[in-house]
Amino acid sequence: MPTVTFLPRYHKIDVELGCTVLDAAQRAGLNINVVCGGQGKCGKCIVFIQRGKIIFDHQKYAQFFTQDELAQGGCLACTTTIESDIQVLVPDTTLIQEQKILVEGQKTEIEFLPSVKKYYVELNLPTLTDPTPDLSRLLWMIQKNGGPVAEKIYAPLEVLRDIPAILRNSDWKVTGTIALVPGVYRLVDLQKNDTSKRLYGASVDLGTTTVVVYLWDLVNGKVVGVSSNYNRQISCGEDILARVNFARKNGLTKLQVLAAESINLALTTASDTAGIDREDIYEVVVAGNTVMTHILLGIDPAYMISEPYVPVVRRALSVAASRIGITCNSNGGLFVFPAVSDFIGGDVIADILTCGMVDREEISLLIDIGTNFEVVLGNKEWMFSCAGAAGPALEGGEVLFGMRANPGAIERIAINPNTFNTTYSTINNTKPRGICGSGLIDLLAELLRTCVIDRTGRINLGIKNKRIRQGKYFPEVVVTWAKESEIGKDIVITENDIKNLIMSKASIHAACITLMKAADITRHQISKIYFAGAFGNYLNKKNATTIGLIPEIPIEQIENIGNGAVAGANIALINRRKRKALDNIALKIAYIELNAEPTFMDEYTSSSFLPHTDLSLFPNVQRMLDECRLQRE
Amino acid sequence: MEFNLNFGWSGSIGEVILGATNTDGGTRKRSYHIGGSSNLPFIDQKEFSESPLIAFEICDNVQYWSPIAKSACGDVINDVKDWAKTAETSYDADLVRLHLTSTRERGLRDVSFVKKVVENVLSATGLPLIIEGSNEPSIDSEVFQQCGEAGQGERLLLGTAEANRYRSIAAAALAYNHSVIAQSPIDINLAKQLNILLREIDVPHDRIVIDPYTGALGYGFEYSYSAMERIRFSGLKGDADLTMPMICSPIDTLNIKEVREADIQNQNTIAVMWEFYTGIAAAVAGAEIICIRHPKTVELLKKAFVALKTKNIYQG
Repeated sequence: MPTVTFLPRYHKIDVELGCTVLDAAQRAGLNINVVCGGQGKCGKCIVFIQRGKIIFDHQKYAQFFTQDELAQGGCLACTTTIESDIQVLVPDTTLIQEQKILVEGQKTEIEFLPSVKKYYVELNLPTLTDPTPDLSRLLWMIQKNGGPVAEKIYAPLEVLRDIPAILRNSDWKVTGTIALVPGVYRLVDLQKNDTSKRLYGASVDLGTTTVVVYLWDLVNGKVVGVSSNYNRQISCGEDILARVNFARKNGLTKLQVLAAESINLALTTASDTAGIDREDIYEVVVAGNTVMTHILLGIDPAYMISEPYVPVVRRALSVAASRIGITCNSNGGLFVFPAVSDFIGGDVIADILTCGMVDREEISLLIDIGTNFEVVLGNKEWMFSCAGAAGPALEGGEVLFGMRANPGAIERIAINPNTFNTTYSTINNTKPRGICGSGLIDLLAELLRTCVIDRTGRINLGIKNKRIRQGKYFPEVVVTWAKESEIGKDIVITENDIKNLIMSKASIHAACITLMKAADITRHQISKIYFAGAFGNYLNKKNATTIGLIPEIPIEQIENIGNGAVAGANIALINRRKRKALDNIALKIAYIELNAEPTFMDEYTSSSFLPHTDLSLFPNVQRMLDECRLQRE
Repeated sequence: MEFNLNFGWSGSIGEVILGATNTDGGTRKRSYHIGGSSNLPFIDQKEFSESPLIAFEICDNVQYWSPIAKSACGDVINDVKDWAKTAETSYDADLVRLHLTSTRERGLRDVSFVKKVVENVLSATGLPLIIEGSNEPSIDSEVFQQCGEAGQGERLLLGTAEANRYRSIAAAALAYNHSVIAQSPIDINLAKQLNILLREIDVPHDRIVIDPYTGALGYGFEYSYSAMERIRFSGLKGDADLTMPMICSPIDTLNIKEVREADIQNQNTIAVMWEFYTGIAAAVAGAEIICIRHPKTVELLKKAFVALKTKNIYQG
């Protein structure tokens, strides 16, 4: 068995012949950046083979490497197979970096009505004249102290078994924890003495890529800890399809365990920071996409990714957290947001809850952009939704110098219309290493405004400027010169990158139009557009409109809600009435399958133009671009 | 039974002028104002209303030409001047469309001969001229420059602009006062997008002719037809970026399997019929210019156009 040694930290691992370097690295615990899921498409997993025999098709993937990199043994980890003992250098740029994660919550105030409560009670001792059973004695006293009606509280066997001893060992001074699960009150825990101040809950956004946890003090209604980390399932594939395929091949167990572990990890970090005991977490609320929540619950997601795309459940689920391996109080509950369809999951329901569109008469349009996008249009009466693949371009995949929102990513950029010089800012203000989604949207809008590209995204090589040049494979525009960059190469955007970006934006806009047509409304009737998702908060609204990512409406009517999934989970955690409304939201939403929509391709082609083929949909953008063009002439 | 064929269109198709006569500073015997209609074709059924124009296609290097077209034309194909002249005098075409197939030679660098070819054809025929330039981006600019210059004042129609190469042809058209063919692959949105791109580099609407791309009948023509219909409807409804006249070139018809593999004694007839039916369908879909490679088809189409306008059943 060959031994693979990963530099610079000398991680060693034994693997079978023919194993890929990527597999080996993941087994050695290295988080390699594989945006395309290991298909050799993204070129992000560059490693350098320093010793040993491997097989790698340098010619096929030449576009991802500079001459220098090739000379140093550059390979793509995902398509390099191991033929002997090897030594591999994994550069920092190839590893997944700490990510900027949205933690902003809700702006409006939510009524504090948690669904778990603790009651400290001191009971009268039983006597021959008062031989009331232990349970009744306890529950009556809880009722007397403001708790729910005793007869309506259900006590599970596990708690019942502990009651006699706890009551007698604590001198009849105990704290009972009552949960309001849908329809019934439930005694979830009984502790000695007064622990009524130690009551916590967690809300979780279980994303395909990241897991975000908010820890709440459910006595005071305050956030006491926030934590996030990567979804550990990444080692089984980057996107949802890859995960489902992994489950098909290898079974569901590993993915289920990894999902629970990812949540546990974030829970531990948040609890440690807050200085609390995880045993005091009584409730965990999870919002995630449909596949993620299915996997977390151990329900097979295989049937929903192929025709006719049927998920297993369309309602919220409450289960014991311990049954699926979440480490909190052993009787703690887990609440999972309902999903509508294969691609409209609990995360979107959470977005809807967060932005409040379900409470209003006016029509809103909600767009959640991640690896996939989801769009919801509607008001308190009706809602239409659809989802599709945005392609990885807006998250930096399939773009030569694209990257996730990590330190060093260019997140904002402007171009001087005369010199074509750029001014930009990077995350953490370090030297630039690449461009992330919000930067790419800025870039596209700026290139259009300065007439460097035409409306189909083709670069005008007729412009005499050293930043605008023919690259090895495609025409390209230099964003930063090698000397300013962290990676020692010119950071460029190529015509091919632009094409991929336009494809992404076109599918999102076409989805918006498809819903608007289904509901028979125009852009003038839309009172609000909400952006949710990874780059929601960093997105430049004007530039997003300029490139035609979204329908043109006045800028002030566009709102970023950031991570709407976790915000929605927060609301559901601290307000049980809002939680109860979730099933109704899920039932209200009509899902439109874009694949089955005959006009979608037409909308897509007409959206594959900057901003759109029908310029009357973008009157202000059109005016602005006309002015820019006149200035150039 | 009477049908109301007045659909209440709010717009009309714009006019493009092809060819310049003496009075306009050119040397053509005629010039055409194509477009201008405010209804679908053949609806008005007036005997003297305009028929679609027929452009006969010739080339300056027959190596790439269909053998059927070559044998139908005979020896004239060996001299592009003779061919152009024959198209006018013998085939009775309305326009000549010259394909500069000689520019397709691999590794070609010097394209100065193009100017001479164009001048020769202009001197051989008095018909307005359509010129198809190179297929090679690296020589495009020079080829169109030569064409444009040689035909200065003649109001040529230059082809073909596509979304990924339209700047050099537009530059030549603007510099020498010619019009351009804007071709997109059978899609109304892509057709409109290209017209917007051209407009934004200052090519006026009355200098653009849309080529929606014509598949052969049975080989995708139904898509072309549908795209053309939608383009024409949009134009008549007033979408300014789609109000241009259309040109169709059913050139694939001579190369399809049914024609290639036909019995030798029937091959010529099948070729003509296939070109004819594709051409007539394109005319019904709204094309203002039909490009043809077989001389016999020109004659048949002309008769058919008269029949369509006069309700006389065509019995050819």
